[in-house]
Amino acid sequence: MLRTYVGRWGLIVLLAALPAFYVVRDLTHGYQAGFVHGHAVVAHDLSRIGLNVVQGLANGAIWALIAIGYTLVYGIIELINFAHGDVFMIGSFVAVGLWGTLGIGLSTGTAGIIGGLILTLIIAMAVTGALNVLIERVAYRPLRNAPKLAPLITAVGFSFILQNVGLLWRGGSPQSVDDLINQGNTVFNISGVAIQRGYILAVGTMIPLVIGLGWFISNTRMGRAMRATAQDPEAARLMGINVNQTISLTFLLGGMLAGAAGLIYALYQTNIWYFQGFKAGLIAFTAAVMGGIGNVRGAVLGGLIIGIIQSFSDNRLAGGEWTEAVVFGYLILIMVLRPRGLIGEETREAG
Amino acid sequence: MTELRGGDRGWDELRAQLREWRAAIDRILPSWWGRGVAVLAIVIGIVLPFAFSSNSGFIDATIKALSLAVMSLGLNIVVGFAGLLDLGYVAFFALGAYSLGWFGSDFFFKAHVHVGVAGVAATETGIHLNFLLILVAAAVICAIAGTIIGLPTLRLRGDYIAIVTLAFGEIIGEVAVNGTDIHLGGGMTLTAGNLGISAVDLPYFPGIGHFNLLELRPWYWLILAILFLVLFVNVRLRDSRLGRAWIALREDEVAAVSMGIPLVKTKLQAYAIGAAFGGMSGAFIGAYFTTVNASQFQFGFSVLILSMVIIGGIGSIWGAVVGGLLLGYINYWLLPDVLNNAPSKIGLNFQLTSVQFGIYGFLLVLVMVLRPQGLIPERRRKLEMTGAIAPEAGDSELAEPVPEMNIGAVE
Amino acid sequence: MSVSENGGALMEAQHLVKEFGGLVAVDDVSIDIPNHSIVSIIGPNGAGKTTVFNMLTGLYKPTAGRIALGGRNVTRMRPDQITSLGVARTFQNIRLFGAMTAVENVIVGRHARMRAGVFGSIVRAPWVRREERAVVARARELLAYVGLRESVFDQLAAQLSYGDQRRVEVARALASEPKLLLLDEPTAGMNPNESAALTQFMRKLRDELELTILLIEHDMKVVMGVSERVTVLDHGTKIAEGPPDEVRHDARVIEAYLGTAA
Repeated sequence: MLRTYVGRWGLIVLLAALPAFYVVRDLTHGYQAGFVHGHAVVAHDLSRIGLNVVQGLANGAIWALIAIGYTLVYGIIELINFAHGDVFMIGSFVAVGLWGTLGIGLSTGTAGIIGGLILTLIIAMAVTGALNVLIERVAYRPLRNAPKLAPLITAVGFSFILQNVGLLWRGGSPQSVDDLINQGNTVFNISGVAIQRGYILAVGTMIPLVIGLGWFISNTRMGRAMRATAQDPEAARLMGINVNQTISLTFLLGGMLAGAAGLIYALYQTNIWYFQGFKAGLIAFTAAVMGGIGNVRGAVLGGLIIGIIQSFSDNRLAGGEWTEAVVFGYLILIMVLRPRGLIGEETREAG
Repeated sequence: MTELRGGDRGWDELRAQLREWRAAIDRILPSWWGRGVAVLAIVIGIVLPFAFSSNSGFIDATIKALSLAVMSLGLNIVVGFAGLLDLGYVAFFALGAYSLGWFGSDFFFKAHVHVGVAGVAATETGIHLNFLLILVAAAVICAIAGTIIGLPTLRLRGDYIAIVTLAFGEIIGEVAVNGTDIHLGGGMTLTAGNLGISAVDLPYFPGIGHFNLLELRPWYWLILAILFLVLFVNVRLRDSRLGRAWIALREDEVAAVSMGIPLVKTKLQAYAIGAAFGGMSGAFIGAYFTTVNASQFQFGFSVLILSMVIIGGIGSIWGAVVGGLLLGYINYWLLPDVLNNAPSKIGLNFQLTSVQFGIYGFLLVLVMVLRPQGLIPERRRKLEMTGAIAPEAGDSELAEPVPEMNIGAVE
Repeated sequence: MSVSENGGALMEAQHLVKEFGGLVAVDDVSIDIPNHSIVSIIGPNGAGKTTVFNMLTGLYKPTAGRIALGGRNVTRMRPDQITSLGVARTFQNIRLFGAMTAVENVIVGRHARMRAGVFGSIVRAPWVRREERAVVARARELLAYVGLRESVFDQLAAQLSYGDQRRVEVARALASEPKLLLLDEPTAGMNPNESAALTQFMRKLRDELELTILLIEHDMKVVMGVSERVTVLDHGTKIAEGPPDEVRHDARVIEAYLGTAA
């Protein structure tokens, strides 16, 4: 049987396998880069790879934001917030709903759209933050001393409730939404790779949020309280930290980021669906674990990596049919071979 | 009489009063009343179909509910007895159903295998095994699959087991959907994806003939027989050396292995046996619905079965049955047939079936917060779930940096 | 499965090392346990005593070193395998199965000596029934042997008094018919009378049940009173070993405990 000791480099090799395969293939075998005079043009450069990577980073930014939520919560109470993905979904739904309420549409002027989106972002983040805090109060706090099974089950229950809310709100099929920012517009080119607005939106929103969160955790009193509680709740309590409040704050922050991710998702994918949270949740959780659960930088790293893997799988490997299986396959591999992920610490959960 | 004052005080006193009444009732009843009720239930179970017409809608719902109860019993072994939170149980439903699809239909049309079948099934191409053999095949395939799925979880605890099993469930679901792309040679594929394998054989027993979908009673007794078998195995295992080993591992892995309980073997046995039951029920469901369709195998199903185990009473055998029947009836009868239009009667614009899973979710939350031990509590689980006994006790000394504790997982 | 003797040493551990990440908890400790003896390991807190225990019982894999039981190499064996070879233990913080009764706890202790498997349990042939009955009887015998009152045999382990819980732990360890019994701080929380009784009991175990006992202890009276040999650990290394009287006067031992430089 496989030895459990794969090590960080082993994991990196495994993760890079899929992209590396296609890099080699593109350079040697070439890929079809279009038609000229009815003949297929075969290129042997890396621009298709580049495109895949950039797309992956854009999606990955969304997963990163959601993954941070998982990792923050896990870091502080050692529980997987199963409903987190669905909070993300609600974020998308709220965002799209707000566009209607605020009257932002395809015909609104640029200033209006930007202003409206910023407002939407703030409100959506507030709503999802509050929702996450609510879930903690109802599903987790009463069961703090129960076996770990119990809060996990309530979280599953909540996940289903939220999904049903989404189902009732906008029906069972994916719904397309207004492409408010013309996300497909190419803004500029980097050596043959077209950088679309959507990519910039995704990565560009993620970066300040992550930096902001990082600053908050390192430099504020409440951020320090979060770190202390994550390290040792009992000691934190003895030092006068209000553990309950700190936990609620953690959920709030995680929820807010999920809300932001929801808005970005709606703008970028121009499509929302009640079931998107379930899928996104599992992908983001994989990302969190891959990076190293409990570690915010790890969540971002994991999100981006998963995004890239997903991009390769979607675009190269039988058109996205098997992507889910690929991602989950990686999840299982990580759990078996290196549960602490790329930059995480040894966790007790892993035995 | 106790005065009930407002707020929490009132609740506590109410609960105390209820406990008193319950204790009084327990004193009056003879000690064998539990068993008596069980026997009565079994008898009623056997004669029930005679009280209904042979194609009654109620019997139809009961058959479906019973098949889910079998699943619930299977999952109860994994989650309830062994304490391994399996969120991917739908995988065994799928594999069991596909066992029927593969070995009881024309799907593998290049083969010509016929064992113990008659009529159309005996002359058609494909693999056609007698339904009992298919049940065995389903059990074996699922036992192997359960072992494979269980292996990666052995070193993990708690939530991580849930996620890994969930991931497996999703992977198998995806394979089911995309199985049309997996070619086995000769034009045959692994599955029929979302179109489904539809011409599955009806069960046939020499002397009884073929089942058909107008006469529900034989189906009913078949699933009832399967239920009794599974019940029997459950009861025997619970009070056995293996059953105790599961409880010990659940309570304190370190102490359990130190007492001589082999961790890997014991946990895998739970996965395998639980999976086998799921597979048998899956094969039955495939036959009863006459189709094996990839869209049947979604995560929601895993949660439905888990809900049955939890609401019924985690770890309790009768709880699993009651939970299975209860949610089965709600799922197949109460919601779609009886209450579906209730919201529109009060002016709301939706049907109850569309909030089905939201209702299950709500029930899960409710049960966990109010009565985590479920409807029919199992003695020990009740203590664990209500916090009377601290779970995962005493791992302080062995919780120092211990990444590679040699509890015997694979290496 | 019996354990054959090997030149008098029932269990031998040679040059054991245990590292956790960067921390070396046990550094080159060798210990041998003569058959039918009572041997103690002592040392200040954090000396690595329980870590050594955990290696001997298979819970930790040694980073380096070799462990032999009756001449047989058991270094990398799993805990359940080592138990079935005749080694049993109790824990520093009692680890009973709280939701099981005292009797059930002891029955679990007998797991390795029972033969009923999946099919045997389902079918419940006569031999299985006999085995079950025998196990229950033996469990009750053992509980009585360790001095538990019969009235609490069927009480949940979590509800027993501390002293009773310790007794049940011993009974559970004895249920696997060990040749070697490891007791981790068995007198923790006991008053002098109880400690004296336990000391007597250990001698009884050695004499009546032909057990070999390895003890971690902090109570010096018990250690000096019952041990034939004492091994002293400090900061993961062995600093002294010998008969109790010798060790008690060893300068390094005194320094380790009192922390004064010579």
